[in-house]
Amino acid sequence: METAAAEGAARAGVRFVLNGSPVDVWAAPHETLLAVLRDTLGATEVKYGCGEGVCGTCTVLLDGAPINACLLLAVQAAGRAVTTVKGLGAEGHLHPLQRAFVAHEAAQCGFCTPGMLLVAHAFLADHPRPTRDEIRSAIAGNLCRCTGYTRIVDAIEACAGTGKAARVEPR
Amino acid sequence: MYPSPFAYHAPVTMGETLALLARLPEAKILAGGQSLLPLMNLGLAQPGALVDVNGLPGLETVTEDGGGLRLGALVRHRTLETSPLIRRRCPALAEAASLIGNIRVRHRGTLGGSLAHADPAAELPLVAVALGATLEISRLAGAREVSAAEFFRGYLLTDLAPGELVTGVRIPAIAPGTGYGLAELVRRAGDFAIVAACAVITTDGAGVCRQASLAIGGVGPHPLVMRRAEGLLTGGPLTDRRLAEAADAVPGEVAPESDVHATAAYRRAMARVMAYRALAQARARAASGPGRPA
Amino acid sequence: MARRTPDEHPDPFRIVGRPLPRFDVADKVQGTTLYAADWRLPGMLAGRILRAVYPSARIRRISVEHARGLPGVAAVLTADDVPQNALHEDPTGLGLSSFATPVLAADRVRYQGEPVALVAAESEVAAQAALEAIEVEYEPLPGVFDAGAALAPDAPRVHPDRVNLLIHWKLRQGDVEAGFRRSDAVVERTYRTQRVDHAALEPEAAVAWVDGDGVVTIRAATQVIEHFREIAEILRLPHNKVRVMAPFLGGGFGGKEDMTVEPYVALLAWKTRRPVRMLWTRQESLLARPKRHPFTMSYKTGATRDGRLVAQEISLLADAGPYPLLSPRVVFAALVVGCGPYRVPNVKIDARAVFTNNVPTSAMRGFGAMQVTFAYESQMDLLAEQLGMSALEIRSRNFLQKGDRLPTGEALETEAALPHITARAVDALGERSRPSAPSGRVGRGIACNMQPYGRTVWFRDRAQAWIGFEADGALVIRAGITDLGGGQAASLAQLAAEVLGVSPDRIAVHIGDSALTPLAGGTFATRQLYMSGNAVVKAAGELRAMMIPVAASLLEAAEPDVQFADNHAGVIGAPERTIALARVVAECARRGIPTSLLSGFQGEHAAPIDLETGQGRTFPDYTFGCHAVEVEVDAETGTVRVLKLAACHDVGRAINPQSVEGQIQGGAVMGAGQALMEEVAVEAGINLTTLFAGYLIPTAMDMPDVRALVVESGEGKGPFSARGIGEPPTGPPPAAVAAAIQDAVGVRLMELPMTPERVFDAVRARPARPKNEARGKV
Ligand SMILES: Cc1cc2nc3c(=O)[nH]c(=O)nc-3n(C[C@H](O)[C@H](O)[C@H](O)COP(=O)(O)OP(=O)(O)OC[C@H]3O[C@@H](n4cnc5c(N)ncnc54)[C@H](O)[C@@H]3O)c2cc1C
Ligand code: FES
Ligand code: FES
Repeated sequence: METAAAEGAARAGVRFVLNGSPVDVWAAPHETLLAVLRDTLGATEVKYGCGEGVCGTCTVLLDGAPINACLLLAVQAAGRAVTTVKGLGAEGHLHPLQRAFVAHEAAQCGFCTPGMLLVAHAFLADHPRPTRDEIRSAIAGNLCRCTGYTRIVDAIEACAGTGKAARVEPR
Repeated sequence: MYPSPFAYHAPVTMGETLALLARLPEAKILAGGQSLLPLMNLGLAQPGALVDVNGLPGLETVTEDGGGLRLGALVRHRTLETSPLIRRRCPALAEAASLIGNIRVRHRGTLGGSLAHADPAAELPLVAVALGATLEISRLAGAREVSAAEFFRGYLLTDLAPGELVTGVRIPAIAPGTGYGLAELVRRAGDFAIVAACAVITTDGAGVCRQASLAIGGVGPHPLVMRRAEGLLTGGPLTDRRLAEAADAVPGEVAPESDVHATAAYRRAMARVMAYRALAQARARAASGPGRPA
Repeated sequence: MARRTPDEHPDPFRIVGRPLPRFDVADKVQGTTLYAADWRLPGMLAGRILRAVYPSARIRRISVEHARGLPGVAAVLTADDVPQNALHEDPTGLGLSSFATPVLAADRVRYQGEPVALVAAESEVAAQAALEAIEVEYEPLPGVFDAGAALAPDAPRVHPDRVNLLIHWKLRQGDVEAGFRRSDAVVERTYRTQRVDHAALEPEAAVAWVDGDGVVTIRAATQVIEHFREIAEILRLPHNKVRVMAPFLGGGFGGKEDMTVEPYVALLAWKTRRPVRMLWTRQESLLARPKRHPFTMSYKTGATRDGRLVAQEISLLADAGPYPLLSPRVVFAALVVGCGPYRVPNVKIDARAVFTNNVPTSAMRGFGAMQVTFAYESQMDLLAEQLGMSALEIRSRNFLQKGDRLPTGEALETEAALPHITARAVDALGERSRPSAPSGRVGRGIACNMQPYGRTVWFRDRAQAWIGFEADGALVIRAGITDLGGGQAASLAQLAAEVLGVSPDRIAVHIGDSALTPLAGGTFATRQLYMSGNAVVKAAGELRAMMIPVAASLLEAAEPDVQFADNHAGVIGAPERTIALARVVAECARRGIPTSLLSGFQGEHAAPIDLETGQGRTFPDYTFGCHAVEVEVDAETGTVRVLKLAACHDVGRAINPQSVEGQIQGGAVMGAGQALMEEVAVEAGINLTTLFAGYLIPTAMDMPDVRALVVESGEGKGPFSARGIGEPPTGPPPAAVAAAIQDAVGVRLMELPMTPERVFDAVRARPARPKNEARGKV
């Protein structure tokens, strides 16, 4: 049982870009990107929900494409750009999708929300004018237990270039 | 989320890779990681060493190969799904890839990984068998080829020997008048199929079947080729009756097992239904114009 | 948007009733919300649980020496290390099924996954290695794995000192035998529901530490901070030495109502004197966290020729797993609403929960009332079929009305707008869809339900809230509620905003801290809006009453003419005469009048029911609803697709219509998931559904848009006449889908989930379909 020793011994420096800024971390090969983001870098906006690639709460964008952070080794992120939901909008300045999620109450517990926003963002970049069915298909891999999805689809639809403005109510 | 520790190797040349695999016969190859890493996260796989092949050059390419296609082992599911060349030359593969799991899995998962993992209900092994694909395999001692039909040996079991790497897949040229059909039954969108069927039919100008290929997944240890159904179709006109007869032959040729999602009896019955649907689609596509590729 | 009944008077409210964006959602979309697992402290250890591999076994020996000696291991604990290895519970509040549940199994394990030992180590990997190094020698014992078999006299006992029958509730009203003799049609069927997992996307998690003042502090994903008391007893500490904080939850649905990680993480922090984080993996959550009870429900229902219900005899049997948890209460709720929202003069119900060696079961959204909806609504359809009536007709003839006597003998005290609700749901389906393929068959069905909200009256429920102004006129609400994601915190702000005229963005809500927020009694039983909503409205009203005279004197107006609105005090009818609330606050301070107060709301209370007849007062009130669905069945495969789902509930008053709709949509999809897809399969005590890939909750592709229809009857016992809406929407979908399947392919399924295979088998076994136009038609 030299696990603890092995853990320390094989750590390697990994450099990647997180939300636009370069980061350098020490990561052991067996650490997933999810573990390093959450435990080492404090990027707790990326969630753990299953570790099987099923739930989508760990979604990040890797060079712009949505992937499972739970199914990528941190060392495999070297030299690449990782985007979490914090890379979507700027501090205090929400991305239109985030605004639409608030306006439509497309989040309840919010645990699926960071992943959902990232998938929606990547999807809209390729499909500026999607149908509701296309939106449903795009987010099908990201589970939500609270909303039943209707409002998530509403919010994404409101953001797509369909000309429909997001429902905005003053707070 | 917390796999147990292992030694990690990320070779960047083929020679280095094959040497490593020869030296570390117990090492696991890491491609897209979408089957291996879940197992490791769950503690169900605890390999002592991983050989990450993602850094190998040239394994993500898709090229025309005679009238067919050659696909590198690291071609991602997402590329299969979206590449204009693949959609034109081999839409069956593109459609099959689009049915896999979720968008995140498709961005990472690879063709070679799916074939090597050999899940009995997986789409790509099924389509590879139905299309008569050939796998290219390398080891330190040299390279070899094996047909998809012979590659799958049992439940999660393939023809691969320790030290061997799948490097690419060749899809043969598709004759004019060929159409494909893909039908699957899933309990939930994106999940592994309960039963999946892939049919490829080539007709002559008069609607007579020149060649038929039918494979079924989820009803045996690996995708099964329905020889009797194929025989019943070849050489005759593709009437509804003949399609039904061919589909009726399917339950007798499958060997499903029960699990929490479906009993063997249901899988057997569904194999017939999916076979018919795949055949009917293939017939329609074959008829919709000569030269329409599978 | 709320759609009001046409007869309703215009909205008298400024803030209540508006679809305000929730402040917590604004944080959640930015990823700044810190859930339980997101908390980190320096020197934090990783805590893990070693779980039983057998469902029923004796522990011969546990050896932990090797594990303790591994590098990075800070503690390995077994039952011997737990100061008080028993959790004393009285789930009925009547002493009927008091029980001491072990925290860690000592000599016996009674379900697969039962905690046996605890580990704390420097990293998750080291903790995992330590778990693997603990040696447990088991001697497998016979177990009991079926609720029915558990009642056999010679069944192995789950607990040697008591029989397997955990609880038996009885309800007797009228004379059912005479009733059946008077009936023209009698339908007798048995229904089965499955084990369901809450599958909140946030797995169970907590961080615990011993704070500087020696207080064991646990920041946990829990619905109930009041568990600090039980944790204190386990640690043998005074109650005031344990503090539980609940951050925003990533979903609860009842799965975080019992304790999950709390006692274990607390033990490890207490023993190591270091912060410990414990995260359950999804797989251990699926393996061992309590599920929704599988019910077997035998119903015999009699009606007259004109469709009036005469008698109903019901036997309910629930598999409780090996420990009581909340089973007695779940089964009690099922008993009370076993007949659904209908008048039935003669009723006999026996509701039992039994011990087995299967995975434990406890609270889940719908809490017993959900399961029986499947049965009583199916019975209504089958009766209608026998009597040649439509589903709508038979229901309309029997709907409960205000003032009617419930089977418990108590009167229904609020409006039950069922005819209106049902019509709304049915209308919303619109035109019938065409099948999408030759093998497609389209069908429709409806189901109504009633769901209690609030705790059983003999628990004498209480909730408190503490509200105060800051010097700048901003408002602070402190309430010991937990927010599961349903907007519990935001709705309190909205209520206070209404009463005190403070804009919601000037209100901070502090929740979920057993040391600093006044206790509110947990978020479950759809009680939080009812209880804490009333508490906040009461506290805000009292605060307002203290401040109005001060404002009146500043404004030189009569007190009745003063109003608080838009962060100002003003004179009604004189828009120019306003002053900032901050000025009123300052003036109060000068005069020594408090601008902050604690108040409480006492829920309805009454003596316990009669245990032999079930007669008496039970729940404070009920929420009523109706769902209408349209499905397409693939007749060749048995696959069912929900094409349309309209869900209508009377919420009394929608405090935030957008949040209400969200509850309805999410609840309906959860119910539809239970109808068609979800099941935790357990065979001989072994859980076969421990992967998330195998536990099928619906994706966005599996469900249609849900039309949420909100009726506001203006009657309910919550603040501003609101009714609870958290749980009710999960109830109707299974029965409505079953009806729609029957409409489509002529077979009635009586077991959940209605998988493609079950539908396929039923269609294949179906006798030639008799022609009967009225059957099941909506
Ligand atoms: C949530 C989820 C849903 C999924 N749903 C589906 C689905 O519906 N249908 C489906 O077909 N698949 C599904 N998959 C599996 C997915 O397609 C995987 O990507 C695929 O099975 C494995 O490919 P990979 O590249 O990720 O392989 P890896 O996980 O990297 O490797 C898998 C196995 O193959 C070996 N291997 C990999 N590459 C090679 C190679 N070139 N030569 C030799 N051996 C190699 C590895 O050593 C390992 O044993 C799903 C996966 C997830 C996580
Ligand atoms: S945690 Fe990665 S998909 Fe669930
Ligand atoms: S909002 Fe809770 S899981 Fe989606």
